[in-house]
Amino acid sequence: MVNITINGKVVRATEGEMLLDVIRREGINIPTLCQHDALEPAGNCRLCMVEITRTEWDGWKKYVTSCLYPVEEGLIVSTHTSELHEIRKTILDLLLANSPHSDVLQKMAEEYGLHKTSYEPNLEGDNCIMCYACTRICEVLGKSAISPVMRGHEKVIAPPFGEEPPDCIGCLACAHICPTNVITWTDENLTRTIWKKKFELIACEKCGKATISRDFAEYLIEKRGLPKEYFNTCDDCKRVELAQKMGALVDKAKEVAL
Amino acid sequence: MRIDSIDKLAAWRDECRKRLDSQKKKVLVCLGPGCLAGGSDKILEEFHEILSKKKITDVTLEAVKKTGCHGFCAQGPLVIIEPEGIFYTKVKKAHVKEIIETTLEKGELVEKLLYKERNGDGTDHAIVDYHDIPFYKYQKRISLRNVGQIDPDRITDYIAAGGYSALAKTLSSMTPQEVIDQITKSGLRGRGGGGFPTGRKWATCAKIESDIRYVLCNGDEGDPGAFMDRCIMEGDPHSILEGMIICAYAVGSREGYIYVREEYPLAVINLQNAIDSAREHGFLGENIMGTDLCYDIKIARGGGAFVCGESSALMKSVAGEVGEPRAKYVRSVVKGLHDKPTVLNNVETFATIPVIINEGADWFASIGTEKSTGTKAFSLAGKVKNTGLVEVPMGVTLRKIIFDIGGGALKDRKFKAVQTGGPSGGCLPEDKLDLPVDFDTLTKAGSMMGSGGMIVMDDRTCMVAVARYFLGVLVKESCGKCVPCREGLYQLHKLCTKITKGKATEDDLNLMENLSRVISVASLCGLGQSGPNPFVSTLRYFRDEYMAHIRDKKCPAGVCRELITFNINDQCTGCLACIAACPVEAITGEKKKLHVINQDLCTKCGSCYEVCNFDAVDIK
Amino acid sequence: MTQTDMTKLDKIFNNNPQSPGSLITVLQDIQREFRYLPREALEKTAEILNVPLSKVYSASTFYAVFSLKPRGEKIVRVCKGTACHIKGADIILEQLESGLGIKAGETTKDLKYTIELVNCVGACALAPVMLVNEKYYGNVRCDRVMKLVEKD
Repeated sequence: MVNITINGKVVRATEGEMLLDVIRREGINIPTLCQHDALEPAGNCRLCMVEITRTEWDGWKKYVTSCLYPVEEGLIVSTHTSELHEIRKTILDLLLANSPHSDVLQKMAEEYGLHKTSYEPNLEGDNCIMCYACTRICEVLGKSAISPVMRGHEKVIAPPFGEEPPDCIGCLACAHICPTNVITWTDENLTRTIWKKKFELIACEKCGKATISRDFAEYLIEKRGLPKEYFNTCDDCKRVELAQKMGALVDKAKEVAL
Repeated sequence: MRIDSIDKLAAWRDECRKRLDSQKKKVLVCLGPGCLAGGSDKILEEFHEILSKKKITDVTLEAVKKTGCHGFCAQGPLVIIEPEGIFYTKVKKAHVKEIIETTLEKGELVEKLLYKERNGDGTDHAIVDYHDIPFYKYQKRISLRNVGQIDPDRITDYIAAGGYSALAKTLSSMTPQEVIDQITKSGLRGRGGGGFPTGRKWATCAKIESDIRYVLCNGDEGDPGAFMDRCIMEGDPHSILEGMIICAYAVGSREGYIYVREEYPLAVINLQNAIDSAREHGFLGENIMGTDLCYDIKIARGGGAFVCGESSALMKSVAGEVGEPRAKYVRSVVKGLHDKPTVLNNVETFATIPVIINEGADWFASIGTEKSTGTKAFSLAGKVKNTGLVEVPMGVTLRKIIFDIGGGALKDRKFKAVQTGGPSGGCLPEDKLDLPVDFDTLTKAGSMMGSGGMIVMDDRTCMVAVARYFLGVLVKESCGKCVPCREGLYQLHKLCTKITKGKATEDDLNLMENLSRVISVASLCGLGQSGPNPFVSTLRYFRDEYMAHIRDKKCPAGVCRELITFNINDQCTGCLACIAACPVEAITGEKKKLHVINQDLCTKCGSCYEVCNFDAVDIK
Repeated sequence: MTQTDMTKLDKIFNNNPQSPGSLITVLQDIQREFRYLPREALEKTAEILNVPLSKVYSASTFYAVFSLKPRGEKIVRVCKGTACHIKGADIILEQLESGLGIKAGETTKDLKYTIELVNCVGACALAPVMLVNEKYYGNVRCDRVMKLVEKD
């Protein structure tokens, strides 16, 4: 265990923990956009920056992204100075300039007293903030079907050649994790469309409801070693089936008892 | 011949020296980037062509050789005749015959090719021996010691010049710790710009428990306007290898890479040749010089990304990935290439190592200043008379470099600023010229010494446009991963463009200043953190020029096209020069009659201004 | 891709370790051989080196030296280094763009010329500098640009 000071209060933390986790555990609110518990920290959005110093640093301090900074004995952390306010506000201002229509960003910016961007807004902005959450989750859960393309301000998240990504399995992880809801998909008549690619959805044998894409099912069966027929029924029907089995067991038990 | 023992090297060196000494006269043809562009490869061919048909006493075909950059690029193509040091400038293929007949055969000088130094009264005098030319006189060459003197493709030249003797000394008489101690004691700091103490870096790497350690050389040299490393890689590749091998011995590494920019194809070729011949002669590979040391080097070519000069991005690139800097707060010396401890030093740093080992740490520390020891190579370019490659002791003033060595601003125009440190650096005005050049002083003044690019600017350079240029480079080179750098520099560049168009307000300037501060503290890597420097430093010293664009909608330097017009005044003699130079045929007029610029056609390129010899073109 | 192209490609794969670490080197070799990165070559690279196609594509678009489109026989590179910039590289580029009718980064329809920008070729002493394929031209004057490009 190590002792660190956060906003004047001494706090105990486990070695190897990241500052952000400790700060949040203390109930202190720090905005983030690229952070997600399912993912390794990336340090892209820079909103979680905090000020750190140590007694022996003699007043010298530095700014670090708390999502990536491991706790160290004796660290003195400030999470809400005026300079940090300015940093977070400026970052949100910059993001809003590029995605002026994003309600997520608008709401966050409002909290910093920012009603509109100080820069010339990009009215064609697509709300993507380049947090890489989608590509990171795809690497963990899927098959790295999408990636950052180009560099600098021209960077976009896209499938290879901007066409249907051959490695996409239609799992929707990218769409669900996106903090600004940029990645869209449609499910219609047992067909899912995402990244322009169409997927067949499995219809539940029992109720006929659409479940997951066949590609995703096959991928999971192979990766997790599940039985082949596992995805033939939907989760609801599986639950009903299980409840019926349990009920039958209970009935039988009662019979035996009697 | 394979050098499988320390003793064998000494014998081989004697042999190499004897062979060189038997050449009574030597002809060095500079094939550095500047001279090569002037056709020096054709000059070398011509020498060989004529001399292969014609026998001359004292001159063998082997004694006419190519070298790397000799330094004085402004006077190139250069041909030097040794041992006298006769310095022929601006040589053309057509001059070769004359040089052979006059100098090599008769021992006389070709006057017209000699360097001319301007006297105080405007007349010239010729200087024969290049050592006497002011450009060379004030220099002290350590990292560039062999560049321009030896044929980079002949390992025998390097051996004759004392090559691999430092390695022999290291392997025969020093422990790895003693090597690290010497480098630490010498005070050597990384020449790539960061200025981190080299000895301390090596010591950290050597201490970490690990089965594998890497020694990498950074030859990315991405700063536009810098070409020192290029000249060392092309002109003296073995000195880099020797430095790396010594480092490998000190830290315990078996494997290394030299990361070279794609824009330097000749550097890749010369380094590869050097690696192959070093391996063949037993300086690389298994059991180096018959000892237990095993170390080998591969070349990794860059892909044209400035951010790859950043250590963690460079290592990702070497590992075959996209060169995005790593966000984690772990130093690459601890976890570098493939997450193993890695020493990464720059070309010039490694090239300096053998000299420190041979001459001793105290000798090196006695050169330069207390905190910045030794010498530093600079590339002098831009609007300066003597463009070229120079190396001076740390601590000399900017004025000495720019005026005494560099000869001052081109065409005797007014000096305005010098840009140092590349896109991460800044611009310093005339009243900072007496600052000593070292790692710390220029940083305090708002610029940085950086890797050593030095671009001189005159009164025809607009500082707002310069800031905009650098921001433009950085916007293109940002990897795009973190917000402050990707979005912040983009907005900063946009606002700067707005100023150059005369459309910005003072509020915009305030916004830029605030934004710059946030980009510097919040960016992930050095590229973003130092990204606003070109703007911040020009604003600090040239605020008036910014205000002229903003308040008066004027560009005092006459550069920003939206804010200027070109007109021909009555000084015009009607010489037709500007009409010939105008690329868009916007100028009309007859011989000996006043010329006129059609404002509708004029693209404000400034060509007429450049060619006019009568000050007849006004820019307002 | 033709059979000879495939043979060239196989040779590149055989010259490099067939692992993800070789990605950049392999792409450089492909670019050198074909003067650009043909799509099939990228797909093959992903397969042979066992790298997701998305990562191959990402690297191909990240590094400035790579081109996904065929490039011209003559690649005209304008140096945009600092020294060249203050000595008028912009004007050289303008002349070139209007002379060839394409913008920087583009290739003429007849696949004869491509204009590229480079940050700095390290020949600052000769600024402004332009390269036509491997040949350097120093102290380029804007009224001579097209003559140099059309030479030989």
